[in-house]
Amino acid sequence: MRDRRITEHPILDFKTGEVIHFTFDGKPMEGREGDTIASALHANGVKVLGYHFITNRPRGFYCAIGNCSSCLMIVNGKSNVRTCTEPLRPGMVVETQTDRGVPDDV
Amino acid sequence: MLINTGVPTREQLDRLLPSPERRARGPYAMVECFQEIPCNPCSTACPFDAILPMKDINEIPAIDLDRCTGCGICAGVCPGLAIFIIDESKKDGTATVTIPYEFRPLPEKGETVNAVNREGDVIGDATVTRVLASKRTKTPLITVEVPAELVHDVRFISLIDEQSFSDDTSSESQKSPVSHETAPKTDDEDEIIICRCEGLTLRVIRDLIREGYTTVDEIKRISRAGMGPCQARTCGPLIAAEIARMTGQQVAEIQPSAHRAPVKPLPIEFFLGGDSE
Repeated sequence: MRDRRITEHPILDFKTGEVIHFTFDGKPMEGREGDTIASALHANGVKVLGYHFITNRPRGFYCAIGNCSSCLMIVNGKSNVRTCTEPLRPGMVVETQTDRGVPDDV
Repeated sequence: MLINTGVPTREQLDRLLPSPERRARGPYAMVECFQEIPCNPCSTACPFDAILPMKDINEIPAIDLDRCTGCGICAGVCPGLAIFIIDESKKDGTATVTIPYEFRPLPEKGETVNAVNREGDVIGDATVTRVLASKRTKTPLITVEVPAELVHDVRFISLIDEQSFSDDTSSESQKSPVSHETAPKTDDEDEIIICRCEGLTLRVIRDLIREGYTTVDEIKRISRAGMGPCQARTCGPLIAAEIARMTGQQVAEIQPSAHRAPVKPLPIEFFLGGDSE
């Protein structure tokens, strides 16, 4: 697997943290400590994070700061998780969301 | 104009130019900074106090060219990459310009590169005479030799035969060089998404405005724009701007939609702190 991370940058240094294992739609994937869910998916080449429930158009990174709704996914069974800002944790089960999602119970 | 193009006018640049005697004497800094912004690293970094201390951090830097040695420290710390070191003292028909270059790969000493002007056009060749990658500022400074008559125009370099960026997923995103002529029409109403939560395009919003829904609240009620997970953070200002444009009002006159957080029933224990006691 080719890692799509930036390794050389004129100004910034990127430290790579410990490997974190998670799954995306059942496929095992590896992220790094410090990743958000969406950044780990991008590093694995996954750029389509979901499909809109009305238009069926693919959705990817848009605001990347937790503002918009473009990166909503199902994480550990919970829908509408903003994966662009949600830190990646070991063993997370990440799934593509294609509907409005279900409100979670309190 | 600077504010529209990022390119300063000849008049603005001429005002920065030192006297002919100073230009002939040795290297000096051209501080091509024309906007009052809160920024002062150039003046605090200058070891010779040539960039004068600022009373107000918003001031445009002023330079005392008698104290400036052309050392280049300011060029390495300027976050806007707006400072260049010019040396016109060689008098052999060539001159050098030192350019902050925050790109990879770096050119090598002796390499011939494209000399690029402020507008971004290649205007000739330049020979790299020094590559200074300072650990402290991290902004590499590239000194290039150019014909003396071009030294006030060359402000960037590009590498010749730079291999194009390729990705193993490039088949899905085949990129042609984007020019203003070939770029996708930005007015494509069916491609521009206004409300990302509810999937509403610019065409939907414009049709609603044409039908007479001319407040953000009306559009919210008929289309659900603003009622998704982001709660109008993305679409609200865009819809207000479109209403303003189509009805000839100022955006400031358009009322935002009423903000009502989503409501759902909660068990009474939630408010009692969780314990069922």
